[in-house]
Amino acid sequence: MSLPLRAPGPLAFVDALASQTAAAPEPPAAPLLHLIAFQLDREEYGVPVSSVREVSRVAEITRVPQAPEHIRGVMNLRGRILPVLELRTRLGHPPLVAPGPKARVVVAEVHGRVLGLLVDAVAQVLKIPSDRVVPPPDDARSIEADYLTGVARLDGRLIILLDLERMLQAGPVPHA
Amino acid sequence: MDRDHAFAELIHEYIAECLPLAEGVTEALLEIERQWRDGHRDAGELGALKGRLHTLKGNSAMMGLRPMQAVAHALEDLCARLVADPVARSDEAAALLIEGGGLLSDLIRAARESDDGTAAEVYVARVRAAVDAHPASPEPALRLERRRTERRTPSDAGGTIRVDFRQLDTLLEIFGEAMIEQSGLPDVHRRLRAILGQCDELAEFDRVIGSVSATMKRLEGALMQTRLLPISTVFGRYARMVRDVARDQRKPVRMVTEGGDTLLDKTILDRLGEPLVHLLTNAVVHGLELEADRRRLGKLAEGTLTLRASTVADRAVVIVADDGRGLDTARIHTKALALGMDVRSDAADDLHQLIFVPGFSTADQVTELAGRGVGLDAAAAAIHALGGSIEVRSVAGEGTAFVLSLPLTLAIVRSLIVEVDNERFAVPLSHVAETSRVRTAAMHEVGGRGVLMWRGSAVSVADGGTLLGTTARPGPRDYCVVLFAGARQRGLLVDRLIGHQDVVVKGLDPALGRPHLVSGTTILGDGRVACILDAAGVVAREAA
Repeated sequence: MSLPLRAPGPLAFVDALASQTAAAPEPPAAPLLHLIAFQLDREEYGVPVSSVREVSRVAEITRVPQAPEHIRGVMNLRGRILPVLELRTRLGHPPLVAPGPKARVVVAEVHGRVLGLLVDAVAQVLKIPSDRVVPPPDDARSIEADYLTGVARLDGRLIILLDLERMLQAGPVPHA
Repeated sequence: MDRDHAFAELIHEYIAECLPLAEGVTEALLEIERQWRDGHRDAGELGALKGRLHTLKGNSAMMGLRPMQAVAHALEDLCARLVADPVARSDEAAALLIEGGGLLSDLIRAARESDDGTAAEVYVARVRAAVDAHPASPEPALRLERRRTERRTPSDAGGTIRVDFRQLDTLLEIFGEAMIEQSGLPDVHRRLRAILGQCDELAEFDRVIGSVSATMKRLEGALMQTRLLPISTVFGRYARMVRDVARDQRKPVRMVTEGGDTLLDKTILDRLGEPLVHLLTNAVVHGLELEADRRRLGKLAEGTLTLRASTVADRAVVIVADDGRGLDTARIHTKALALGMDVRSDAADDLHQLIFVPGFSTADQVTELAGRGVGLDAAAAAIHALGGSIEVRSVAGEGTAFVLSLPLTLAIVRSLIVEVDNERFAVPLSHVAETSRVRTAAMHEVGGRGVLMWRGSAVSVADGGTLLGTTARPGPRDYCVVLFAGARQRGLLVDRLIGHQDVVVKGLDPALGRPHLVSGTTILGDGRVACILDAAGVVAREAA
């Protein structure tokens, strides 16, 4: 939960709470990619921390009649209406009827557009040296390939880097 | 104590309070600069700094320290600008921010000795130049900021008239209806194009739709501005109420209000009253300890209640905080389990939010012991209905803070809420001709389609579930809502009529495409989102 910082005073304890969650270790000299890693089925994906506003629990998602494919619906995010993208189907995974208990909504912002990405689980924040990233393999499923920037190998894990910008700009498929 | 001495005391307090605050701001700004240099040019903490700058500005104004007030104000404007406009986030802008933070600290440190405003004047002029250098972006947050500053000098132009607020409400209602009607135009355009194909007249029509929509936006802005009032108009009422409750409870309470010049729509202010009264009363009765207990705990005998308002981007944040005993996390956990709730996380912060769940705070005495009384769910529902949100933050032994985030303005449409296959939809009442219980006698089938006799004419009837895609198989429905748009009508079969409600209209995000059946969304009292049906789309669609 992101809340505004407050002036010291009777609410100092709220500031203290907020600062506990905001750890900021010093980055080393080598260029690092800061990623938020999440899972869809057994695959791990990553998006840049810089384009993620927050990671939210899944509130009730309201379906919108005639919404484009891959849009699961809209969610109340502290009084704002957040469109939620069904990332599973967008990336070629089979759909789920209901999100599981570990599911989260990754709230992404690209060029002022804010969109929630429904994911199975959020793993962690990763720092990956940029030289570990290789172009996506040729056999990547074509449905995904458009939205990949590369693949990173980290301690035996394979993390697929998503091109959020392209994904959000691709925009809705107009309803027939 | 003579007056000079009293003033010296006040200045002393001012420096003691504001210097750490200003230094904290500079620290945060340095961190932002570092992030920007690393290539993360997001707004980060900038928006959050506004609260602190606002306090600095307010405290300086109270002491008549104009240079500090002006610098804090300039920093606020610059932050708002940078929050709203990513393009403006340059290294120069970061440097200008940090310079301002430093200047503010220097001025505050020297408040006793000097009130020379030259440095402040120069700085403010530079900020103004920087803010004006970029053409205004169409970001609503910034426009609201401008409006706020303009409103600070109400008496410089001639002519103020008194208007009955109900007239402004009527204007807003009509505007809301116009917005919904206007949202049907692109659909008309689409259908015409299907018939006529591309032609110059249609291109012209499209252009007109665009400019009408832009004009409506401006009209909305101007209309909303007439409805804004400072929150201080209601703060006074709460101060008196808190004093009465405190006397009743025999608890000494000091009430602190901040950010009284925060502007909010009058309707929001009016509807905020009840939940705020509830939260404040609860804070005194259940949050604050008895005087004797406070002394034993080494706390100040007098409890502090804080009511603070501020504007963060395009939202108003209102905080109701007490320095009392805090919520009893263990009791909340036990009770949640006893009620068979789905407790997914035992983190204190997550558990605390359960107190808003309907039924949680009404069942028995436990919540009272846990630090809060009954009816918090009602307060939360009232906030949700305004398009707002509420969260609680609490630390045992230190206090509890309720954080309310509210929209600054509203567009309201009176609607009928209906339910189809457990999904809820809002139908604007201005487009509802009639609602009735479905009697099989009145329903006919003509050529495979349902037809209802309504005022002597046959109206085609659509199953709500099939039309809105809630189900693949239409089941028997109990109610029929006859919608009309223009000269056309259509019956919509639904399961339940929930009731009439003023809903706050939220636009459709472009990511949702252009659904013809839906003109917008709204947040219902339980916090869930519901779609607002577009009557024109419903009546125009051929039977599904």
